[in-house]
Amino acid sequence: MSNHATLERESPPGAGLAAAGRRVDVAAVARQAGLVGVIVVLVLGFGLARPLFLDGGNLINVLLQSSVVGVLALGQTFVLITGGIDLSIGSTVAMAAVVSGLLSHSAPAPVAILGGIAVGALAGLANGLLITRTRITPFIITLGTMSIYAGLALIIAGGQAVYDIPAGFQDLLAGRVLGIPVPVFLFVLLTIVAAVCLRRTVFGEHLTAVGGNAEVARLAGIDVKRFTASAYVLSGGLAGLAGTVLVARLGAADPTLGADLLLTAIAATVMGGTKLAGGEGSMSGAAFGAIIIATLTAGLTTLNVQAFYQQVAVGAAIIIALLVDQLARGRR
Amino acid sequence: MTTDPPMLEIRKLSKSFPSVRALHEVDLTAYPGEIHALLGENGAGKSTLLKTLFGVQRPDGGEVWFEGERREFAQPSDALAAGLAMVHQELSLVPQFTAVQNIVLGREKSRGGFVDWSEARRRAAASLARLGFDARIDVPVHRLSVAQQQLVEIARALAVGARLIILDEPTASLTTQESERLFELLRRLRAEGRAIIYVSHRLAEVMELSDRVTVLRDGELVGTRTRAEIADESELVKLMVGRDVAALGVRGEPGAAGEEVLRIEGLSSAEGVSDCSLSVRRGEIVGLAGMVGAGRTELVRALIGADRATGGGVWIRGERVHIGSPAEAVRAGIAFLPEDRKHQGLVLHMSAASNATLIRPPRRHGLLDRREQREQTRALLKRLNANISPDYPVGKLSGGTQQKVVLARWLKTSSDIFIFDEPTRGIDVGAKGEIHALMRELADEGKAIVMVSSDLLEVLGMSDRVLVMRRGRIVAELDRSAMSEEAIVHHAAAT
Repeated sequence: MSNHATLERESPPGAGLAAAGRRVDVAAVARQAGLVGVIVVLVLGFGLARPLFLDGGNLINVLLQSSVVGVLALGQTFVLITGGIDLSIGSTVAMAAVVSGLLSHSAPAPVAILGGIAVGALAGLANGLLITRTRITPFIITLGTMSIYAGLALIIAGGQAVYDIPAGFQDLLAGRVLGIPVPVFLFVLLTIVAAVCLRRTVFGEHLTAVGGNAEVARLAGIDVKRFTASAYVLSGGLAGLAGTVLVARLGAADPTLGADLLLTAIAATVMGGTKLAGGEGSMSGAAFGAIIIATLTAGLTTLNVQAFYQQVAVGAAIIIALLVDQLARGRR
Repeated sequence: MTTDPPMLEIRKLSKSFPSVRALHEVDLTAYPGEIHALLGENGAGKSTLLKTLFGVQRPDGGEVWFEGERREFAQPSDALAAGLAMVHQELSLVPQFTAVQNIVLGREKSRGGFVDWSEARRRAAASLARLGFDARIDVPVHRLSVAQQQLVEIARALAVGARLIILDEPTASLTTQESERLFELLRRLRAEGRAIIYVSHRLAEVMELSDRVTVLRDGELVGTRTRAEIADESELVKLMVGRDVAALGVRGEPGAAGEEVLRIEGLSSAEGVSDCSLSVRRGEIVGLAGMVGAGRTELVRALIGADRATGGGVWIRGERVHIGSPAEAVRAGIAFLPEDRKHQGLVLHMSAASNATLIRPPRRHGLLDRREQREQTRALLKRLNANISPDYPVGKLSGGTQQKVVLARWLKTSSDIFIFDEPTRGIDVGAKGEIHALMRELADEGKAIVMVSSDLLEVLGMSDRVLVMRRGRIVAELDRSAMSEEAIVHHAAAT
């Protein structure tokens, strides 16, 4: 009898539905517009207080600050869409940074970069296989590998930072083209590619279905395990790339970096409208989320707000963003 | 017995859900020292009656009188406090808690701020021993058998001082010996002057155990009889079904009997399917009937590889096929429409187009072709007479339209074998007729169709042949001439 209770009334059928059907898109566009609006308001607000904030070079610098977290947030979005979570990305960044840093001493820069990405993808593959071949939840698996990868990074690096990164490596990933830093180009390009992948490919469609309802996907003949695992490979690979970018920017590979990157990346992802429960997510939202957090941090620094207070402000911003989102959804 | 005033009196209880009238002016009385059986087909309104009585759902109309007082139970705890207890079919114990913890749950006695476990253990042990409980009381209950868990639940009911005990299909998963012991216990409780309301599909049990029997059909009271007034089980069956089958219109004779498309031999699974064989021919609709829990869904899930088969084989057009996963079933040309559309059929927040093209979405230049996806969906939905936008999120559609979206997905794959699990459950009458028409159309096109259904009218109206399942086995095959409600219920409910 319980099925009776779940019966629902349908909105009246007919011509009105064609318009109503677009509502999904309107909601998504509204959220993106909201995120962009927040960025604009933040930039103008900080600019009013400190006109130097509006300087082109400074704004590009803010984008540069957001690029590493942004790339990590793209990967995290793939994983969150499947209904999982990847806590190991910070450690993966450290591991990839150390490996590409060491490789750069002896190998050409492109090889060192690819090496870093490959290490990240392998770390992600290990996560994906452990998650799909056991019944242990992604949270626990990646909590474990978070520690394992952090330890491996230290072991590989011999406990200390890798220095003497060749200039060629640094120029390739941290140089500027037309005055714009390469990481910013990468960030924008990857956001577009990831968004197309999610919305305009069969892969993205099936990944969304797997996260929305794994049983439905399985009964429709979709290989749920393969799609789930590939999300972690993407997340790991993007973390690997983020690690190499950091090495190029800092001129050194620190095996202990990455811990705070994880939480910022997850914050950017959920701020962008991706649901922790899976099945719903937005790549551009994750990118905007990363930019909002970077803008907030940079702006508060400009206002000489102490780092401790900045942490409090960023944390509050995340919660406020999700509250506003929830209220907006409730009204629709 | 009848000289006492009734303990429970339900007068003209009604309950409707959107588009379904689940209960209509049903009366029921229970006396102290009585075992009262509640009978009816799936969907007759038994569960709704009990849930409404117990405060899980609020009635739309009618009155409940308990021990001479008019009562309105807003929630189960009100009913419990008044002296009613219900042993649910899905037992409602905390699995990780021990028998002792479960029995005193919510009424723990404390001493100096701490739970007095030795006192709790003493009380629980005493009440369990009285019920003939022979397992350990200090292990988590999920490690006990279903029968033992049931005793824990009854002990909990008695511990709160319940005078009226409701049992919803208590013997559904018990062995014969366990059932016998439960009956002994129920008779003892009756002797203590408690009233027992008992739901069962097993007619022989009902005949053996009950003092009176109340039968529901389509949400209405058929009648209440004392045990002495009932001659035999077939009289109960007549009371339960007794409907006009002709109303639905029976499917015309199939054309030339087509060749065999699907054959299953000796299929078994860990989910309780044992040694099932069947064959379906081109253009044929084979109905799978049986009580809830008889293993029908489990059989088709084993067939499509959703559950792992532990024995037997599947042949398609005479060729042995290995189906180890739903993906392989899709490739073998088997379409499966699950019973639970919301949890197994559709990704609710995705659009109708995404859901309808979930299998092999259209691509162009390696990318998903959204425009083509929309066009395909529009065409499929039009064929299914569903007038909705392809962009519409399916979670907001009615049950009937949702089923059409699932059906659209499989029409697109041009499968030859269609498996419908409860194709019209929870669907309003209009859409139901349309789904039936579509199923017939598919059969006329030469598809082989297996239909699991708990709706006897649907089984009789749609099937060319009916297989009846009971306890994981196919126990009867009825062709057109042998098909009747009585025959199906007889085979499905035989002890």
